[in-house]
Amino acid sequence: MVVEALSVLRNLPARKKEEQAEPSILLGGSRDLGLDTLKLAQDIYDQFTADPRYKEYVLGCLNCGECTTGCPAARFYDFSPREMLQVAMSNDPLVLLNAMHEKIWACCQCYTCNMRCRFGNDIAGIISVMRELAVKNGLDSAKEVLRPYTRILLKVMTGGTQVSPDMIQPDFFVDWGPDAVSKASDLKTLRKAIPIDVLQVTDSAWEVSMQTSLELFQIYQESGVIDIVRAVDPDLVEMITDIVDEWREEFEEMKEKYGVR
Amino acid sequence: MGILSADQIREVVRARAENRSVSDKKVSDVREEMWTLHDRGELIVIPITPENKPVEVETLFGWKKKVPTDKLWHHKSCGQCGNIPGYPASLLWFMNQFKTTYLNEPHQTSCTAWNYHGSGTSNPVALAAVAVRNWYRAYETGTYPLIHCGTSYGDYKEMRKVLVENKEVRDKVREIMHHMGKELVIPEEIVHYSEWVHVKRDEIASMVKYDLKDVVATVHEPCHYYKMVPEDAIYDSSVLGGQRPAPPTALLQKMGVSVADYSTWYDCCGFGFRHILTEREFTRSFATLRKIKPMVEEAHADVAITTDTGCVTTLDKSQWVGKVHGMDFLVPVLAEVQLAALAAGAHPYKIVQVHWHTSPVEKLMEKMGIDYQSYRKDFTEYLNQIKSGGKIEYLYDPHSEIEKYFAVNKGQVIVEEQALKRGE
Repeated sequence: MVVEALSVLRNLPARKKEEQAEPSILLGGSRDLGLDTLKLAQDIYDQFTADPRYKEYVLGCLNCGECTTGCPAARFYDFSPREMLQVAMSNDPLVLLNAMHEKIWACCQCYTCNMRCRFGNDIAGIISVMRELAVKNGLDSAKEVLRPYTRILLKVMTGGTQVSPDMIQPDFFVDWGPDAVSKASDLKTLRKAIPIDVLQVTDSAWEVSMQTSLELFQIYQESGVIDIVRAVDPDLVEMITDIVDEWREEFEEMKEKYGVR
Repeated sequence: MGILSADQIREVVRARAENRSVSDKKVSDVREEMWTLHDRGELIVIPITPENKPVEVETLFGWKKKVPTDKLWHHKSCGQCGNIPGYPASLLWFMNQFKTTYLNEPHQTSCTAWNYHGSGTSNPVALAAVAVRNWYRAYETGTYPLIHCGTSYGDYKEMRKVLVENKEVRDKVREIMHHMGKELVIPEEIVHYSEWVHVKRDEIASMVKYDLKDVVATVHEPCHYYKMVPEDAIYDSSVLGGQRPAPPTALLQKMGVSVADYSTWYDCCGFGFRHILTEREFTRSFATLRKIKPMVEEAHADVAITTDTGCVTTLDKSQWVGKVHGMDFLVPVLAEVQLAALAAGAHPYKIVQVHWHTSPVEKLMEKMGIDYQSYRKDFTEYLNQIKSGGKIEYLYDPHSEIEKYFAVNKGQVIVEEQALKRGE
């Protein structure tokens, strides 16, 4: 009786195992669900539910919808944090995989849903876990979403800052108005007119010392982030590794020059 | 299936809520457990000492929080430094006025949380290790980290919780730190720059040179300041009835600014990390329709004030394109510390760097009574001076060449005496 009641109250039907090869209502119609897809879905589902954050972040849901009424993304996308929480609780690998293809990328990570949630769910957090798994498992959707983001990844994984003044180029930021893009024409002088020495650069938010950049790369290597990014963009990882290798050589030369051990 | 009985519904709720006890952990004070781990030698807490001249404030649940005001290590924000350089410059300018000692170094990375929240290309071990590496640099120089960015502030509070509550992550991060010759450290409090500004509001207000009562400001409260880890944000029952965070409203009121309310104060700005860069149609629609439009039509704002990087960028840069839909607002958007610096007489272009803002600040300055045209003339001459290889003005003495490579200068705190002598 309880199981039956659950399936009525949830917005997602609790599907039996043998039914999971069939398209769910959330899959948007027929879809070729080959064995590879089923295996991938199951693998990701297992990683998802085994993650310690899953039990901590997903606590329960009354479908009150408070999260969605405050959600900025819900106003402009086919997206709802309530639905994402239901997906996380669906016990259905295919429902999870489908949400990871597109919907998870609409979230703004503003945490408004968390603040409003009566249950104390960390909805923004569980969406982050889904994103992390989409990247780690090299989903095509993650590759597509992150393609225009390559330059940001390159910046942060080498220099340690995400944005740089020279990113504001007229071709890309025309909607920010003529005043924003005009900075590009005289950027070096304008940066020198900032009274903080480490900000007087154009290719990084601030000048990051080489030791600091190398330590950051070491963190990325030892924490497995390099492997995560390789799953979606192996060329980028190769480029980053080349840059860091060159820096290591230069760093050794500088040690000699300055007599630093 | 017929209508469920009350018992059946209760059973369903109970089945869903069986893990709910975990939610109690969410509002436990993680600082207590942190000190226990410090006593056990599992980590080192960076203490706030009398040398940091702390000021005590109350947070959401009435918990006490110490805000250090001296011997600070600036944890810069990549968005501020990249696109709103007058934001950190205004903060450092005030610190010079107050003879605050600080370090502002190249030996810092960003928190990298933009990457995690925007693109999923990180994990808790990496985020926590990045946090600890930055904290350790403050620790080894005898300074205390002051976090400029709202997201870094939120992320670092999350990482503090992860490090305290998850032994596996803690052990892995400690191992990574040891490989770099560093220790696992956590600051006693995670402190946002706006909290420093908040506790300095009386001193800042005493420096105001203009009558600001006719200036109408609307406040956008940054989500990552008070929604990400709510229990750690400053609230004060004498400010907005304690119903919203006290910074930056308390400062604005102290300076004599008219703070006006608007219906969508609770909404996010629309930044969205990845969205501001690669899905800007969402960001600019949300920022314009849900934030700027109500600020103008309901509150008649002269200026929008906030305390975070992404919010200033989003609300400022998203307005110009609204012209095509007849929304020709162009409300200036400033951090509270920038408005305060303008009011206290800082150079609008050399210090507050208002020329980096897309929505013009000149009309606001005119209303404040600032003779911006003479400042602009002075700045144009300064740019020409720089182009011809002339002297560059600094808020502190620039770092030596060796610091482009190595994190030297251990244990030393730069006293900004020279800048003070110059009266900057």
